[in-house]
Amino acid sequence: MYYQLINFGNEEFHAYPNKSLYWKRLNTLIVSDLHIGKSISYAKNKQFLPPYDTKEILNKIFVSLDNIKPSNLIVVGDLLHDVFSTLSIKDQDYKNLSQYMKNTDFIWIKGNHDKNIQIEGFKNFTNYKIEKFLFTHIPIETSLFQICGHYHPKVKISHRGKTIFKTCFVHNEKIFILPSFGILTGGLDIHSKQISDVLGKKNLSIYPVGHDKVYKL
Amino acid sequence: MNINKSNPLLLHPLNKWMKKKKWSWFPHQIETFNYVRTGSDVVVFAPTGAGKTLTGFINPIDDLIKLKKFKGLHTLYISPLKSLANDIVRNLEKPIKELDLNISFQVRTGDTTPYKKQKQKQKPPNILITTPESLALLNSYENAKEFFHNLKYIIIDEIHTFLDNKRADLLSLNIERLQTFSPNLQRIGLSATLKNKQDAKKWLCRKKPKIVSYENSVLPKIKILESKERIPWSGHMATYSINEIYKEIMKSKLTIIFVNTRAQAEYMFKNLWLINKKKLKIAVHHGSLEKNLRLKVENNLSKGLVDCVVATSSLELGLDYGDVEKIIQVGAPKGINRLLQRVGRSNHNLNTPSKAILVPTNRFEFIEAKAAIEEIKKNNLDKIDLKEGSFDVVAQHIFATACAGQFNINDLYKEIIKAYPYKKLKLNDFKQLINLIQDGGYVLKNYDQFKRIFQLRENKNIYKLVNKRETRKYRMNVGTIIENPMLKIKLGTKTLGNIEEVFIQNLSQGDSFIFAGQVLEFQSMKNNLVQVKRSKSLISKIPSYSGGRMPLSTNLANSVRALLAKSNMWDLYPVQITEWLKRQKYISKIPKKDEYLVEQFPRKKIFYTVIYTFAGWHANQTLGFLLLRGFKEFNYKPLGFVANDYAIVLWSLKEVKEIKTILNLGLLDKHLDNYLEETSIVKRLFRDNAIISCLIERRLPGMEKTGKQVLFSSDLIYTVLKKNEPDHILLKSSYEDAKKNMIDYDRLREILKKIDKKIILKKLTSISPLAVPIILEINRENLSKKETDEYILEDLENEILKEANVLSIN
Repeated sequence: MYYQLINFGNEEFHAYPNKSLYWKRLNTLIVSDLHIGKSISYAKNKQFLPPYDTKEILNKIFVSLDNIKPSNLIVVGDLLHDVFSTLSIKDQDYKNLSQYMKNTDFIWIKGNHDKNIQIEGFKNFTNYKIEKFLFTHIPIETSLFQICGHYHPKVKISHRGKTIFKTCFVHNEKIFILPSFGILTGGLDIHSKQISDVLGKKNLSIYPVGHDKVYKL
Repeated sequence: MNINKSNPLLLHPLNKWMKKKKWSWFPHQIETFNYVRTGSDVVVFAPTGAGKTLTGFINPIDDLIKLKKFKGLHTLYISPLKSLANDIVRNLEKPIKELDLNISFQVRTGDTTPYKKQKQKQKPPNILITTPESLALLNSYENAKEFFHNLKYIIIDEIHTFLDNKRADLLSLNIERLQTFSPNLQRIGLSATLKNKQDAKKWLCRKKPKIVSYENSVLPKIKILESKERIPWSGHMATYSINEIYKEIMKSKLTIIFVNTRAQAEYMFKNLWLINKKKLKIAVHHGSLEKNLRLKVENNLSKGLVDCVVATSSLELGLDYGDVEKIIQVGAPKGINRLLQRVGRSNHNLNTPSKAILVPTNRFEFIEAKAAIEEIKKNNLDKIDLKEGSFDVVAQHIFATACAGQFNINDLYKEIIKAYPYKKLKLNDFKQLINLIQDGGYVLKNYDQFKRIFQLRENKNIYKLVNKRETRKYRMNVGTIIENPMLKIKLGTKTLGNIEEVFIQNLSQGDSFIFAGQVLEFQSMKNNLVQVKRSKSLISKIPSYSGGRMPLSTNLANSVRALLAKSNMWDLYPVQITEWLKRQKYISKIPKKDEYLVEQFPRKKIFYTVIYTFAGWHANQTLGFLLLRGFKEFNYKPLGFVANDYAIVLWSLKEVKEIKTILNLGLLDKHLDNYLEETSIVKRLFRDNAIISCLIERRLPGMEKTGKQVLFSSDLIYTVLKKNEPDHILLKSSYEDAKKNMIDYDRLREILKKIDKKIILKKLTSISPLAVPIILEINRENLSKKETDEYILEDLENEILKEANVLSIN
């Protein structure tokens, strides 16, 4: 699979078009904001989205794990959409998960959506430090380099009179924000107030995700 | 025959009032009265000014007087517009008050206060004037049956506007519901003159169907603006004739200028103001303007307080503005019916002709305008094609039915297929729509505990709503009109109207644009509000509105082709047009009425293929894409295409040698799915389908979604569904919608069926005169924004004209 090389905190990361990030030196795969079970959570309110998101997201993860065989998988928050989400995970999916857990450490940084939920085999953390990097759902006050999720960043691109929005990886000098790995998840403009408050407006490195390629702006 | 002697209306309660007004009954009023009296459902066709509204009320009023102090709802009057509903009330009020008749009547629309609505439900008036959406809402209440069970008449006003769209589908389903509630219900339709009157009859009538028709013998006086300026090769803004248009406004007491798009309206308005030395009172009116601004213009119009209003189709229907003296149509008429509707807005007196002036904005439009005038003289109207009903509307109707109480699906199905648009609705599709409302209708059953409607255990055919809260969601989602994502424009604290989000997205802070006739500067966007301030900038953009581009009607297209071929008429045209056509005949060919001219020529190492189909914009757009695919297959290395109402031009790196092999029906069958896929036409329609069928919500109190978010999530749903469940009923529904509305599938099919035998292929050494307008459109569309300066356009135009060796014509 093609990837885009990203240099952040003097380390090399690979950004994949399936919206995962790979840290080769430590053989660690990082994903964020999967929002598994969003459809079933909406169904509670009689909004019947196609119930295929859980299956698709898990399959995407399984494919990545098969290809990369990482030692660690870090989810930087919002693995699940809410407490109902586990209803959409089938027994077979649990079995598959535990198979993968034999060779890979599953590290689950808790997000705002999945604070109090447990899945067997996942190691739960509010944040997680590796060397000079801190993995956290929402950035905090720290001198470490932070790798986070939460915002589902998208970038607005205007070219030749056309405007498009694309999901993207984005970072400044100290903070890296991953796109959402989910299927039915929306996005937020990186120039919106919420993201600007975190990243600022200048010196952003932006990597829009295309169909089978991650670009660099 | 002496009508007066046999006229039963002389005994009608309204006769006294008619006499007082010195009015006499029209023959079609007598005929309608007799038919309805003897139990027929009737459609009445009559022009404006022929007492149409009154015609509908003759039988109901007669009946109500005879019944004496009838309690409850007796007659329902459906109007396409809220504003029209209010006008009907005013018209009805006059005779009923003056004659002191004991008949109660009220209006009920989205603007009626909740208090009034509540009172209406407790104590219904004899006559209720309402809209299709309000009717659907009334039918969704638990007591709908009691409310309507004595209903005797339903009158559908302007029924011609209800025949070929989703609103018509919704209305047809609700009429059938009323018929179930009140089996004796009779239907009366009121329509402008139509070509296919039988179709309107089939759509509406069930009991002893009858047509009543009154044709106006006074034809409108329509002419083309005589201009000293040359008509431009291409473009749509009529800048060339602005001074002459201004003179025409000065000549008449009150003028409406109709244009085809909102952008044109803003542009025309701005240009008129620039030359408004006499300080004429000129106003602008279009659908994006804030309601209050629109009402103000309408009010001033009816009181004669303005000299001129620039308007889009927003003023086509609606109140009678008796004082309008002249209509100016700027731009292509597009269809006969549409032009007649617009022309009919002037002079509502039956015996004097309406007056109109057509202003073509380019050369093809001149021919089109000429053709339209000819057809109107011959009274050759456009046919309105009835369409099969859309699935999403049925889904909404099922939801509404569930809101009114538990229901038997077999009874509901039987009722639905009585409605004309749904005669062919398959039971299997219907059941899928039931499932759609129940839990999204997915094959993967994940939502068993979250259903919206459920089957009763004791009878699997009976469904019931899970809880009352759902009724509120239905009521928030009722209706079939889905707006593009819009944002409100605020000047200070004043709301000016709505603008398409897409347009704003392309603006940067400080950019100026024209809206509501003012030059505005974009300041900021927050919480779906676009904050602007007044600007003095001379450079300003015109907002674009993606919706509503109407294709040239088949009828008018045929007439354009016929007229073009009549070379003996050419000398009557302005000299530039005459020369243009003569030159074309000399260099290439003027196609005969049933021929399809294809021209091929090289230009700057690129090969151009121009196909004159006259198929209308939608069909040409589709054909352009299909041909692009076909060219690719033959390895001609196509680079792009542009289509307008008349022609398509494709350009490629290699010469296209096998056009006859490519251009046929096989092309459509082979590449259509690809087309729908790649252009995201189905995806866009899926959003409408998802909202109309209540799969996703338009808005909910407390969680106001912006249009953007709805669009976004519907795109995601579409993608997931397409991948996992390509046979889902909503995908099928969107696909059908695309075929019916967006790509003119049937029209294209008709053309391609016979095209291969009628292609006239001309290999030229350079561009032909007829091709100049469409070639110019290429350059216009492909220029980047900064380059669209008029000078550059002018320069380009000259360059191309020189090449075509037609510069001498000017």
